[in-house]
Amino acid sequence: MSIANAIQSIAFLTDFRESVWVYPVVMAIHLSCIAVFGGMILMTDLRLLGVAMTDRPISEVIAKFRIWKRIGFCIMVTMGALLASSEAEKYSPNPFFWAKMCFLSLVAIHAAIFRPLVYNNPAELDKSPAIPGRAKLAGALSLFIWLGILTCGRLIGYYEDAQSAGSPATKPAAALTVPVSPAIVVQRSPLRLGISGPRDLQENKRKHYVLSNRESS
Amino acid sequence: MFLAIENPLNSSELIFPTLECMHILGFAFSVGTIAIVDFRLLGLGMRHQTVGEVASDLAPWTLIGLALMLTSGPLLFSSDPDMYYLNWVFDLKMVLLLLAIVFHYTIHRRATMPGTSALRSKVVASISIALWVGVIFGGIFLAFI
Repeated sequence: MSIANAIQSIAFLTDFRESVWVYPVVMAIHLSCIAVFGGMILMTDLRLLGVAMTDRPISEVIAKFRIWKRIGFCIMVTMGALLASSEAEKYSPNPFFWAKMCFLSLVAIHAAIFRPLVYNNPAELDKSPAIPGRAKLAGALSLFIWLGILTCGRLIGYYEDAQSAGSPATKPAAALTVPVSPAIVVQRSPLRLGISGPRDLQENKRKHYVLSNRESS
Repeated sequence: MFLAIENPLNSSELIFPTLECMHILGFAFSVGTIAIVDFRLLGLGMRHQTVGEVASDLAPWTLIGLALMLTSGPLLFSSDPDMYYLNWVFDLKMVLLLLAIVFHYTIHRRATMPGTSALRSKVVASISIALWVGVIFGGIFLAFI
């Protein structure tokens, strides 16, 4: 835990975590990369499986997306690392975070295995009458790994650690919570994990706004 | 408020995140494939094929993505309508989404046909990317406002 605390206490990361705008902007960039470059990963995998873009040779699909996927991957990982390290204490006990990291290391293993077998000699794949089994396997596994990353990434926000839920750091914000009816408590913030300090206050303000609005109507 | 209590979506902790994953997968397909066409319009890579070829290859996947996105989205909304309804970022997101979809099937589609000038292609691609990224930013920011 102390390592996690040391990481997130780095001044720059503390500022980042507490900033009202930079944090969500980085998160939105992370997601935009998922959309743009994740889409390319999906299309490459589906081409290898013989499902999408079947009019195009495999070599062409692999070649044309390669550079963009690499650029996207770098941006995505940089943004993700910022998000995770600034909240290191919350992420370190989170099993979904570690599951996501495992899936990410599988990306490297997948590349190490299938690059020489599939991706580096796509011309050979074009020549064979049917898509070879190893290419389909590469596509299927990649699809599985990336869906795993996506799912775990999303679930990170839903895991509540018993310790951090009651830690003094979150108490002041909790004390400000306006009493709410059960219906409002149901509301979830999928991004709650990433929210601390000023944003907690903001959220409470909004709840209050919701409440007072309802009372006046 | 009643929806928040009785909507079966709220009866299980896993339904909401599952829908969110579908939503993200949906826009990876739709925005991802549209962005590929935009990159081609901008003249970035994929020069072996015409824009029209790239666009028609990807069109079915854009549609699959949109379908996923537009079914999971309203379901997510239904879990807590008040929170979205009272959120101005949500309104902004919906306006951008509508613009993005209309733009995609009108001006954007026309720009993928032969005879489009290079300048026009680039302007259309930039607007398209800006609109879709705007929608994604809206989705994130509505949880922070």
